[in-house]
Amino acid sequence: MACLALGFGVLAGRAAYIQVIGNDFFQKQGQVRFARTLEMPASRGRILDRNGLILASNVPARSIWAIPEDVDADKPSLRKLASLLEMSEEDLVRKLQDEDKSFVWIKRQVDESTAKQIDALGIKGIHQRSEYRRQYPEGEFAAHVVGFTDVEGKGIDGIEKAFDRELSGRAGSRRVIKDRLGRVVESVGDDVPPLDGRDIVLSLDSKTQFFAWQKLRDAVQTHGAKAGSVVVLDVASGEVLALANFPSYQPGRRQNLTGEQLRNRALTDTFEPGSTMKPFVVALALQKGLVRPETLIQTAPGRLTLGGATITDAHPQGVLTVNEIIQKSSNVGTVKIAMQMAPRDMWEFYSQVGFGQKPQVPFPGAVGGRLRPYKTWRPIEQATMSYGYGLSASLFQLARAYSVFARDGELMPVSLLRQADPVAGLRVISAQEAAATRKMLHMAAGPGGTAQKAQTIGYSVGGKTGTARKQEGKGYAAKKYRGFFVGMAPIENPRIVVAVMIDEPGNGKFYGGDVAAPVFSETVQHTLRLLGVQPDMAVKPQIVARSVEESF
Amino acid sequence: MTRVNVVLLLAVIASALYLVQVQYQSRRLISELERARAEGARLQTKQEQLQVERRAQATPQRVEGLARQQLAMRHASPAVTQYVAAPAGGMQ
Repeated sequence: MACLALGFGVLAGRAAYIQVIGNDFFQKQGQVRFARTLEMPASRGRILDRNGLILASNVPARSIWAIPEDVDADKPSLRKLASLLEMSEEDLVRKLQDEDKSFVWIKRQVDESTAKQIDALGIKGIHQRSEYRRQYPEGEFAAHVVGFTDVEGKGIDGIEKAFDRELSGRAGSRRVIKDRLGRVVESVGDDVPPLDGRDIVLSLDSKTQFFAWQKLRDAVQTHGAKAGSVVVLDVASGEVLALANFPSYQPGRRQNLTGEQLRNRALTDTFEPGSTMKPFVVALALQKGLVRPETLIQTAPGRLTLGGATITDAHPQGVLTVNEIIQKSSNVGTVKIAMQMAPRDMWEFYSQVGFGQKPQVPFPGAVGGRLRPYKTWRPIEQATMSYGYGLSASLFQLARAYSVFARDGELMPVSLLRQADPVAGLRVISAQEAAATRKMLHMAAGPGGTAQKAQTIGYSVGGKTGTARKQEGKGYAAKKYRGFFVGMAPIENPRIVVAVMIDEPGNGKFYGGDVAAPVFSETVQHTLRLLGVQPDMAVKPQIVARSVEESF
Repeated sequence: MTRVNVVLLLAVIASALYLVQVQYQSRRLISELERARAEGARLQTKQEQLQVERRAQATPQRVEGLARQQLAMRHASPAVTQYVAAPAGGMQ
């Protein structure tokens, strides 16, 4: 009896100790053993095109890791593992040799079917971990705009980088108690729910993008060129409908994410815009009342000496109207108009239309080009700048600057994200002068112009060719050119501005009118059809209604 | 007095057993909920993956390739397009 009482006494004492005196200690030990903080990863937002088609999304993937000292496999199964992982056997063995480490990544983010086969091999010490991988179904067409992420899902280039914060979201966490088998049996404390990344809807149109890219690729390959870019802008909303570069890359294949092809040339490479600057000089001269479209200007003998330097025309002409100066792209004529203006006015106008200024697009590496302050201009420099030498701009800037003509004198803000409403532009020249300049651009693409290959079936177009020798070091490289073309369509009431640049065409043809204008033509025709714009020119219909003999 | 004590004791024991039962139930349900959540997440992931795959099967490149090769189609040009004017006051 006494023993029993004593026993109960001991038990009571023990209970009191656990529940009252040592409570904190035991609570803590319990927490350490069973309470876990689970991290709840936020899923990265998707990148969509303007119609909601997926340009980048997440798919599950598995990463293979190993505890080297546990791995104890025979040769054939290791060889099989290596071949499944597309790596050499030596590489695999080298990774497994490091016995000091208790954790080695073998390969990150292999796809699920491969992971299943690896699982089936049943090699001891090889483990898998579930992860997510970024997938880009459009592949290389939209690669430069969309960009890519690193293996941890952090944006490295393009929109993935520019909108990394919005896309990533914020990871949540919850504190739970797990039982012996690892099942969650109770949640304790407050949950912090994960905040998923936002979807980013781009202004790109997947079809236009693909088509522009395809035509660009064909042109670059036909002309043996080094590279090329194309930009398509919607005039009403300032949205970028397509922005493509060639060569491109597969953003999903991690091993070739280095080198030249990663550059988004349309935004990051600047060049001297050459003759494509001439319409700006003429528009400014019209605005200032210095000339009228019909004013006659003597350009013979195709040469003009200014401060010791000589400006020449590739094809000397006689007396030309201002219209014809643009149509035939006369350097001498343009310089004669430009020299009537104050350097300051020219500089202000160039700046107003965006030259020398970084475009307001959220894109890593976008550049502003070079436009020197007017105070340092010498007369010869003012002259060369009137036909596009001595300053530099990216193709994107050039395309945007042309919106001034397309939008009746307003410079539009550009956007890589979808815009719900038409945007307000900034008036630079009057609608009348813009229309007059458009007419000149139309003539340049018409009979007797430099850009006849820009014509399309059904749509009237207007634009300006440019051919610039490439700078190398301090001077110009011999036989290295860039051909480009900037234009708009339909010319009376433009819907799109398209700019095309072909870098170092190598197969004999290098004029912008020969290499870039055809890309413009095909892109315009296709894009306008996709936008549902009705042709504004008479087209000879080729619809043949085949009459079928009725049978009785 | 004793009777009250006995009743109270029984009540305490019943309540304690019930507590154990409820605790057990709650853990079981939470574990089930957790499993359902994991399943939900898995299905969500699967859906996303299938969407991406569907998109990859329908990229303009693939569609164009198939249309050209298997169906012998080509791009429409304005020359072979007939534009139909919408009747006035019809569709808006």
